[in-house]
Amino acid sequence: MEYASDFAIETRGLTKKFGQVQALNDLDLKVPRHSIFGFLGPNGAGKTTTMKILLGLTEPTSGGGEIFGHDIVSESLAIRERIGYLPQHPRFIEYMTARENLIFTANFYFRGPQAKIHERCDEMLELVGLTGKADRPIKGFSGGEKQRLGIALAQINDPDLLILDEPASSLDPIGRQAVLEIMANLRERSTIFYSTHILDDVQRVSDTVAILNQGKVVASGPIGQILNGKDGLVYQVGVRGPADRLRERLSELSWIKNTMMKKQKDSNLWQISVSDEAAAERKLLRHILDDQRLTVTEFSRKEYELEEAFMNIVKGDSDGHKS
Amino acid sequence: MGTSLDLERIKERKALRGFTNLFRKEKQAWWGTRRWWINALLWSGMLGGLVLVMLYILPPLAAATGDPNVAKAGGQAAFGLLMARQVFFELGTLAVAIGVIVLFQDMIVSERQSGLTEWLLAKPVARRSYILSKLCASLLVILAVLITLPALFTYIFLSVRAGSFFAPGTFLGGLGIMVVNSVFYLTMTLMLGTLFTSRPPLLGIALGAALGGNLLASFIEPLLYVTPWMLPKVASLISGGQPVPDGMLWPPLIASVLWSSLFILIALMKFERTEF
Repeated sequence: MEYASDFAIETRGLTKKFGQVQALNDLDLKVPRHSIFGFLGPNGAGKTTTMKILLGLTEPTSGGGEIFGHDIVSESLAIRERIGYLPQHPRFIEYMTARENLIFTANFYFRGPQAKIHERCDEMLELVGLTGKADRPIKGFSGGEKQRLGIALAQINDPDLLILDEPASSLDPIGRQAVLEIMANLRERSTIFYSTHILDDVQRVSDTVAILNQGKVVASGPIGQILNGKDGLVYQVGVRGPADRLRERLSELSWIKNTMMKKQKDSNLWQISVSDEAAAERKLLRHILDDQRLTVTEFSRKEYELEEAFMNIVKGDSDGHKS
Repeated sequence: MGTSLDLERIKERKALRGFTNLFRKEKQAWWGTRRWWINALLWSGMLGGLVLVMLYILPPLAAATGDPNVAKAGGQAAFGLLMARQVFFELGTLAVAIGVIVLFQDMIVSERQSGLTEWLLAKPVARRSYILSKLCASLLVILAVLITLPALFTYIFLSVRAGSFFAPGTFLGGLGIMVVNSVFYLTMTLMLGTLFTSRPPLLGIALGAALGGNLLASFIEPLLYVTPWMLPKVASLISGGQPVPDGMLWPPLIASVLWSSLFILIALMKFERTEF
């Protein structure tokens, strides 16, 4: 029976404790099908633990979840039939060549015909650009080549879900680029759930992200929404002239949520958080310029880089925990 | 998934999912590399060499020094045959046990340390398949490389020296006991591999049991009846068609089989609960 949910992965209240250490705390996660889902978080946030629970390598202390409708604890074998996994440091059978490793991995899923299995392995080698090195011993492979081979191994069974743990973290820029391209190419076929701390990569390939901090999801959603930051839509306005009445006048507008002013050399930089984008576009600048004494030197919508949004969210959450 | 792939899916029982492929991998780690012939040469050379020394070099030396055992055995040839048989079955049984521990000590530990186990278990693999594939493949290596091959050479050397075929029944009886002893240490090593994540405690316990067992049993004699520590001596007696003292054959043999079964059971249960 085909599973009808829009989500490849759904967890509810997933909790994991290692002795006194709370690795995951009531984790709720929803990974849409056919998304490239970036799973972000500082070191020790619980990303790898989550992945290990999803793979059946460790059991949750409480809570649970499903992958394609299969329970992650009791139906792990059925789940593992349908997923591919790339660990942070890919491992291979060292005495086998790249092709032999692929055939070995394929034999966990398929029993034949052998010619078709070999064909599938060739396809995977081509996908990751390792055809020329297929019959060389693994020990001569560079870090990037190993990573690409790891992706080929994870993809050999044409999985519905790929789980990649830090797939590009140890690679140089060229290796990273290659891995990101492979991931983008696989979007049509699979859902990709991957962890990383390279935020630039996330911004380039992910469509949905979740930010994990201290074992809890602190932000989750489409990347555009995350990039808006926790303050939502913010406009930056540079204003020269006496600004004594500006804050008061802005606060009279119902669609303005919050204002903040930073003094600069010969002007003030205002950050104005708004709730109504259309109203802001039409009226904000006019409203400021109503005061004839003021000159606007800059007017733009603030665009967050993911790193900034990430830091704001994680820092805000950590401060919240402390207070 | 896989709808575009014109491939036939594996149909294996859930309980042993992945066994066939893992067993093939374990076999290839030995028979597909040079490990098997290096060990075949080593074990055949070591045990066969010792047997040859006992057959052809020791007897004239012992006779020259007036060793009364030469005459007691019925001459140099008979003395050589007696010593060769004793060395192969007593020393050989112990040597193979130590070999088993050393060769298979890292069959689980090294894969766990490198992360390979974690990667393998992320495939559709039942955990018991992982353990059983290692057990079966290791057993094949022990039987073929560590026991059968050196035994074959020894049998030929003994027969040539005796001038006729050495009694095959008693020789096989001795070998059977050697196998039981080796399986005991193999299963113990396997179990310890699931209990510890580093080699030192594993090696310490397993080698301690193999080398220190007899010493311990000399203080607590009943241990000889519930452990395999008497088996090398029993193997030697059986191979020579000599009578085995009362209670020295079946109790340690049965105990060793039971211990081995228990070790396998513990290994399976522990591995099933291990978190990676």
